[in-house]
Amino acid sequence: MKIRRRTLLSLAGTLLQPISVVHSHAPDTDTAGPQQVVVKLFGAGLGSLDSYGTGVLVTAEGHVLTVASHLVSAGFLTAVTSDGKRYAAETVATEPSLDAALLKLKADPSDQFPCIDLKSSLDPEPGTPVLAWSNMFRVAAGNEPVSVVHGVIAASVPLEAVQGKWKFPLQSRVWLIDAITNNSGAAGGLLTDASGTPVGLIGREIRHAISGTWVNYAVPLTTLRPAVEAMLEGRKLANSQPQRNEPALSARELTARFGLALMPAVLERTPAWVDAVIPGSAAAVAGIRRGDLIVLIGDAVITSESDARRRLAEYRPGQKIAVTLSRDEQLLELSLMVTAPTTDNR
Amino acid sequence: MYSCCVCLLVLLNTLSPLTAEDLRQSERQRIEVIQRIAPSVVCVMDSAGAGGGSGVLISADGFAISNYHVTSGSASFLKCGLNDGKVYDAVLVGIDPTGDVSLIQLQGRTDFPFAAPGNSDNVRAGDQCLALGNPFLLASDFSPTVTWGIVSGTRRYQYPANTFLEYTDCIQIDASINPGNSGGPLFDIQGRWIGINGRASFEKRGRVNSGAAYAISVNQVLNFIDHLKCGLIVDHGRTDFTVESDDQFNVVVRQVSELSEAWRRGLRSGAILESFAGRQLSSANDFQNVVGIFPEGTRIPVVWRDRSGKHSATMRLGPLHAFRKAPELPQERRQNPPDEETEAEPQEQLSDDLQKLFIARDGFSNYYFNQLATQQLLTPLRMRLADTTPSAAWKIQLRSAEQDPGLQGELIVTADTVGLRLNDRSWLQNTAQPDMQEEPAMFPGFLIAISQLHRMLQKDGPAFDEIAAAGKTVHLPSGRALRVLTARSGTRLARWYFDGQEALPVALDLEPEAATDEIRLMFEGWKTWQGMVFPERLGIVDPATEQFRWLQISDASGKQESGK
Repeated sequence: MKIRRRTLLSLAGTLLQPISVVHSHAPDTDTAGPQQVVVKLFGAGLGSLDSYGTGVLVTAEGHVLTVASHLVSAGFLTAVTSDGKRYAAETVATEPSLDAALLKLKADPSDQFPCIDLKSSLDPEPGTPVLAWSNMFRVAAGNEPVSVVHGVIAASVPLEAVQGKWKFPLQSRVWLIDAITNNSGAAGGLLTDASGTPVGLIGREIRHAISGTWVNYAVPLTTLRPAVEAMLEGRKLANSQPQRNEPALSARELTARFGLALMPAVLERTPAWVDAVIPGSAAAVAGIRRGDLIVLIGDAVITSESDARRRLAEYRPGQKIAVTLSRDEQLLELSLMVTAPTTDNR
Repeated sequence: MYSCCVCLLVLLNTLSPLTAEDLRQSERQRIEVIQRIAPSVVCVMDSAGAGGGSGVLISADGFAISNYHVTSGSASFLKCGLNDGKVYDAVLVGIDPTGDVSLIQLQGRTDFPFAAPGNSDNVRAGDQCLALGNPFLLASDFSPTVTWGIVSGTRRYQYPANTFLEYTDCIQIDASINPGNSGGPLFDIQGRWIGINGRASFEKRGRVNSGAAYAISVNQVLNFIDHLKCGLIVDHGRTDFTVESDDQFNVVVRQVSELSEAWRRGLRSGAILESFAGRQLSSANDFQNVVGIFPEGTRIPVVWRDRSGKHSATMRLGPLHAFRKAPELPQERRQNPPDEETEAEPQEQLSDDLQKLFIARDGFSNYYFNQLATQQLLTPLRMRLADTTPSAAWKIQLRSAEQDPGLQGELIVTADTVGLRLNDRSWLQNTAQPDMQEEPAMFPGFLIAISQLHRMLQKDGPAFDEIAAAGKTVHLPSGRALRVLTARSGTRLARWYFDGQEALPVALDLEPEAATDEIRLMFEGWKTWQGMVFPERLGIVDPATEQFRWLQISDASGKQESGK
């Protein structure tokens, strides 16, 4: 695999600044192509959720591959390319089974971006030295080169991980890396081999389901390629829906269990507006009011009404749920107790 | 796809596979480098031998660099362990609180092993690096822990974050840095000292390595080293103007203080700053980075562009914090406080020899070292003045070196007055109550500067309220690295420059009164005249052009002032 340059004219530049020639023990990371294809992402953060991340340019037209994080769900993303230029970025599609999202930079149609070529993918073996390129800790600003850390692919394994209390939906095998990539803002960054050849997409800040340790992982680009192609063509991958532990609560179940009704889903992504609260219900006791917008359940960002119903389904009677609401342009966190349903139609 | 072919070709041409022997060779070299540099690494503890961080020896006489946040918890004396297993007494010499740097001196040897600095401006992302130090205080025999990694980024800026510790232009590394590593050296893979590890991005894992740590660049440390050796609380610099980035990658001047040198040189809001201290700028971060590596008082060349074209000038950095005492750090920023077991240990009685190495004084970290440095400059000066007349009145004949304007005249200098006659005009300055209107328009401040020179060249020692060695700086416009002596009389601060060869000063910068341009003189060809010494040539810097105008001295004599 190699990096595609902006134009054929810069082919000479490719020769002068080779990305594949660097000796594996002394990668010349200043001039290497990876710096030019990695973009810094900035969006909406909240509480412990960062407002920044990383992405990788995958087409010359400005498509950016990143993780399907809260930044993508929240929208209003800005991407800063390696030359320091800022672009608004909109979400083209997401692929939850691979935790992938495809963005498109709002650029002039004539703009050409340096990008990786997913077609000539390679799958390095465990033991391969790698470099991880990312906007971690937002250390680099504007046109400053992103951070690069080194490590080795330690294993290729199915990922058993959790995010907060939820099982992480990623279905594919991933590489575990011995570099610390599990850092703020690193997710969506580029993993390359030591010569700068792109091989993977840096994963998210998640913990291992059993050990609870922070997992440093990347999803192989060979695995992501079909999903990216599908997203570019507007197709859905077969079996692309993530397996959830719980099906979403129906509107009736929601009312029965919490005394809560949300605004009906009139759009694909109707926000989780509270439409009604039954007096004396768990929702009323918690202090939820009509007109509130549910922003977070636990530490999961709620992007839609159906999202809220799905998250709430995962709690059992007796559990307390931290619910963050937006009311009068202010955020407030309430504690919602899950009571046994008063009626049960199942 | 022929760019693919290009890559393949390049691959075939240059990427020869590593052999097992290559790896063994590189490992041997790495081990040799570590063996060579490890003796210079210091385990820094408080005077009870508790707590601790790291440091690095930089000269055979025991000077060692550490972090301010490592030594600030200790008193004036420390204990230092080296990898010979021995513990040495050390004294705090100088501090740079903003830059998070401190200088200490280990005692008891004149042949300490030390690290040789590299050029941190040449460090590139991807370079291999070695961090040595004492993480988690693991080394009970003081042999340092070595961690290896790569440079993750250069010219990083890290905000002060609730303190005054500001990391500018620093080196980001992925070698493991943990509590206790602070103050320890970062080396390149050849074993050249390139930085001081002092900070890391700590987050959800707690205060342990996260793969993002920051080292103060050795070039910044070297800009401060002579100031630190003078026992100073060294301040960083600030400009009298602010900047912001625009979307065209320009650094645009936002506000300029109307009382500043920048304003007098014509810098105005909206101008585009092209370079600062010779470095090209493309963002406000770039600007912060470059300002942050210089001590207060440094004169900096600045280039900017505005509607009328391109301009250049030099400007002196003002003080950033002007600490009079060592500032306190918040508890969480201090190095591992001693744990409870060691806290109860009785403090060792310091020997008299050791105690005399520290003198407390406001504005200084350790006045003992300032006295040493000051005397190093003043003693040769005094010897040079041995044959002069005490309390002499000077009479000096001078003329301009250039034909245009052709000037000729006489200077008369006494303890209280300076008189100058040039061609048909004359000025008289009462130096006790200076009035700038009594100065020649061509060289404003010249008379006051001459009266300062008269004070400096007193046979019985300089006649100032306060005199202190103040490190070394690049003097402009000469471009020479010169030692500085500051002399205060009243509110007036004079900077005297010495080159280490000539006992007499080679230059003087003086601000005659607030919000006016400095009078900047250079002295050439010091000569003993009748009863006095005076240079044969005297250069006056034109602030607008940074060019000298030279005056030639044809005769001078110093005679006892009548009535003294």
